[in-house]
Amino acid sequence: MIPQNFEYSQPNNLNEALALLAGGNAKVLAGGMSLIPLMKLRLAAPEHLVDLSRVTDLKSIREEAGAIKIGAMTTHWEIESSPLLRSKCPLLAEAASNIGDVQVRNMGTIGGSIAHADPAADYPASLLALEAQVRISSAKRERTLGIADFLVEALATALEPGEIVREIIVPVEASGTGVSYQKMVQPASGFAIVGTAARVRKSGGKVSFVHVGITGLAGKAFRAAGVEKLLAGTAGSAADVQKAAAVAADGVDANTDLHASAAYRRQMAKVYTARALTQALARAS
Amino acid sequence: MKISGSYTLPVARERAYQLLQDPDILAQCMPGTDHLAKIGPDEYEMKMKMVISAVQGLFGGKIRVADQKPPEQFRLLVEGSGKVGFVKGEGVLTLVPSDASTSDSSTEVRYEGDVQVGGVIAGVGQRLLDTTAKLVIRKFFEKLTELADEASVPAVV
Repeated sequence: MIPQNFEYSQPNNLNEALALLAGGNAKVLAGGMSLIPLMKLRLAAPEHLVDLSRVTDLKSIREEAGAIKIGAMTTHWEIESSPLLRSKCPLLAEAASNIGDVQVRNMGTIGGSIAHADPAADYPASLLALEAQVRISSAKRERTLGIADFLVEALATALEPGEIVREIIVPVEASGTGVSYQKMVQPASGFAIVGTAARVRKSGGKVSFVHVGITGLAGKAFRAAGVEKLLAGTAGSAADVQKAAAVAADGVDANTDLHASAAYRRQMAKVYTARALTQALARAS
Repeated sequence: MKISGSYTLPVARERAYQLLQDPDILAQCMPGTDHLAKIGPDEYEMKMKMVISAVQGLFGGKIRVADQKPPEQFRLLVEGSGKVGFVKGEGVLTLVPSDASTSDSSTEVRYEGDVQVGGVIAGVGQRLLDTTAKLVIRKFFEKLTELADEASVPAVV
């Protein structure tokens, strides 16, 4: 179907873009992998689109003071294939490689993905496990939020009218950290039925650090604090992993849809959490 | 799609029942409602604008209340349609007084129902229907709690 008429702007830099968005009526177009289909179905009918494709200052991956800063318009493919991320923040590269299909990864951007805040998107699990920061700009101010505060609920973020995601900041992974993102994919959409991202470190034969993020299971992605608590301080044996992963869905109001009932999702959350922890532990040195 | 759950309101059962039957209160609590009018006994007509992320839909519909057993139970029948699809559903709301031993009276509202969603929105948004329904219900009760708090002040006097 053909979208409803809309005004279209293609600013050349960030300031131009922010000025256009200051009115509050315009919608940002990033990679368009979610927005364009919605517009074609006429489920979304924004009056004004501000296309960020020419704002090259938003397209970069750079290391700065122990952190890696990823511009919002960086595509999933650029993240997946970045030598810097692959060596210094492999979890995010692994998450990106699991998104949708190759066409989506070539067009879709990390800023667009988190601003859309689909509850089954791949990034949030990893970004939560990484305790990522989101830098946000508007014509008036700039602020930085932790990813947990940025993601408010399904399809809703802390972004206010006129604001855009500018960059995502992730830590340079400490040496010896093992990471893994394990996803049960829904083949038609490429979204996660459930997906677990894990980061672990061991010291003196014990698990000294463990961060786990889970997507797809609930209304929004979350840190699995119960799992982390049970695994921390153990030897990280197969039995320890099973015991910790068993609480992955505890206290969670699980989603239901045609592809997976709530009970099935809860069970798969345990299975995929165990897989992610097992692989992360195997990769930790 | 089956929907069920419960939410605890910080008011006594009689008051909770009264709030849930008050069209003005309901209009304020349902996200996106900009018009709600009584068109018959226990029957209301409404207009809603739902905005979820980039998606927005205008719905026109009717709400009917039936099988009232004040202050413990009633049946709610909802139907609405718009360009993006339709919604039709019914459910039973049961009000249970919470533990009487505490000094603050509160009421647990249990809801159980079946909702059908059709049209473009259902075809495309299937994956997100359940999440969205839960979100709308939670927002409804959060707002109702807020209003119940405000409304309870003059009621004491």
